[in-house]
Amino acid sequence: MTETVIEARGLSKSYGDFHALRPSTFSVPLGRILGVIGANGAGKTTMLNAVLGLSSFEGELSVMGCDPSTERGKLMQDVCFIADVATLPKWMKVGEVLDYVEGVHPRFDRAKAMEFLNRTNVPLDRKVRALSKGMTVQLHLAVVMSIDAKLLVLDEPTLGLDIIFRKQFYAALLEEYFDENRTVIVTTHQVEEIEHILSDVMFIKDGEIVLEAEMDALTQQFIEVMVTPGMEEEAQKLGPISKGVTFGKTTCIYKNIDREKLAELGETRRLGLADIFVATMTGEG
Amino acid sequence: MNIFPALIKREFLDGQNGYLRVPVILAALSIFLVIVSTIGFGATIEFDGVFDDHEIQNLGQALDEAAASRRGETELPAAVTLSYWVMGGISWVALPFVVFFTLLSALYEERRDRSILFWKSMPVDDWQEVLVKFATPVFLAPVIFLAIAIASQLIVALFLSIVVLFQGGPVLELWPLASMIGTWFYFATLYLTMTLWVLPVLAWVLFVSAYASRLPIMWALMPPAIIAAVEGILFETTTFLRWIGIQLGGWQVYAYDSIHADIDGPADFLALIFGGLQGVALSYSLGSIQFWVGLVIAAAFLYGSIELRKRAS
Repeated sequence: MTETVIEARGLSKSYGDFHALRPSTFSVPLGRILGVIGANGAGKTTMLNAVLGLSSFEGELSVMGCDPSTERGKLMQDVCFIADVATLPKWMKVGEVLDYVEGVHPRFDRAKAMEFLNRTNVPLDRKVRALSKGMTVQLHLAVVMSIDAKLLVLDEPTLGLDIIFRKQFYAALLEEYFDENRTVIVTTHQVEEIEHILSDVMFIKDGEIVLEAEMDALTQQFIEVMVTPGMEEEAQKLGPISKGVTFGKTTCIYKNIDREKLAELGETRRLGLADIFVATMTGEG
Repeated sequence: MNIFPALIKREFLDGQNGYLRVPVILAALSIFLVIVSTIGFGATIEFDGVFDDHEIQNLGQALDEAAASRRGETELPAAVTLSYWVMGGISWVALPFVVFFTLLSALYEERRDRSILFWKSMPVDDWQEVLVKFATPVFLAPVIFLAIAIASQLIVALFLSIVVLFQGGPVLELWPLASMIGTWFYFATLYLTMTLWVLPVLAWVLFVSAYASRLPIMWALMPPAIIAAVEGILFETTTFLRWIGIQLGGWQVYAYDSIHADIDGPADFLALIFGGLQGVALSYSLGSIQFWVGLVIAAAFLYGSIELRKRAS
């Protein structure tokens, strides 16, 4: 039986009349990389904050068997996260940050953190305040990747970093950190950069989970057709979830329609995650 | 895993300007003043009434005279000890400010700069954080200040010893160790008693730092001011202010009511301050209802701070 990391039943959060997260039921098993994708203010951070014990919530929620709202301290032995803003204490020196984590976290491996940091230009005797944005993120990532946690939550982890570092980071995450005994949850705007590492995706819109699927299955479900001129009527009959015009040709996106059937209409291609996201958010999918 | 050493170390690093730099600078300044004045004023310190009229050239002779005088045997060690407190104790002036401002920013700054999200990503419970953030300035800072005061007393004693050595005076008279060590302990216990009285006020300041979204100093000072004003206008009484005054140190007026001070020289004074008072202070406090009520209020504010921190992100 696969171990479940997160189990949520009717999880929701409201601020007065505003529903930041509508009642949601989902579960996340161990050994997955889940991408949580949604527009700003869609409810991603609200959901993750509940999971991490950073805010109160309504409904049932169990993370690693703990109730995050009352057992955050215990939970954080198995869970690690980087919130969506620079949160490392600016007054601390890099070495002091490592000292502190070593002093409070039983699963922190300092040697490993040093190994990660040695690949960067982050100086140990510098204060966090004096580090560049990129170095601050590198330090934070070095810290969390050296913690032997079961669940790692990354909320926009590479925001503000250059493309080379982002690529390196996701490669390291996949090769050196992730294994079948860990689950990673990532939110990001740069969907293209993470889609190749994700095993699962979740789309959130207006506080609601609108799609939850395994990546393999999802990319097979959505097919785009560049409709051969004259076939527009047939294309319309099959019920595209979204329509557009490219190079003077009609393009239609279909969900759960047999690929061979679609091939008769014109040239078909699989959609990237970003396109699927846009189609789902704007269309009827 | 005992996480408290790491938490305390972090608090110390965060507040090391107040915990270490300020008292060390003040202590260095007062030692410097002692040295300058000793050298500058011909190395003469006067002990009023301890010795008879003689022409005294320098500190060495003064000590000689004092030691040989009628009451020198009892008064001199006390006088020397007290003067060390005066010469090496100036750092204490800074302590209340350090404690107040450290508490005021303890749970406020981490929310302002969002570092709370990093602290909360560590396996540390909110009660552990709040307790350490309270105890470090309230209980650890005085220990550091006392250590610095002791160190500066010893430096002053060492410096004066060298001076007196050159003047051919009785160097040993400058080292009334039993009396000096005694005052360090007495001071620590008296200070602890005073701290326990102030605890509700200090816990209020921490509570404000957990609550205020901005301008914590206004939040710390305004509500008590408003309560006092409203009470004054409605009832024309000052009960609330009196209560605060008593907690802040006014209790000592009542505690020492029974002491009929008959101070005749430094020895009596020393015995009163460091010997008699702290015992009286402690027994008065333990028997005072207001003292215990204050502790309960302090506990309530601490509980409130923990609950607020749980909800903060």
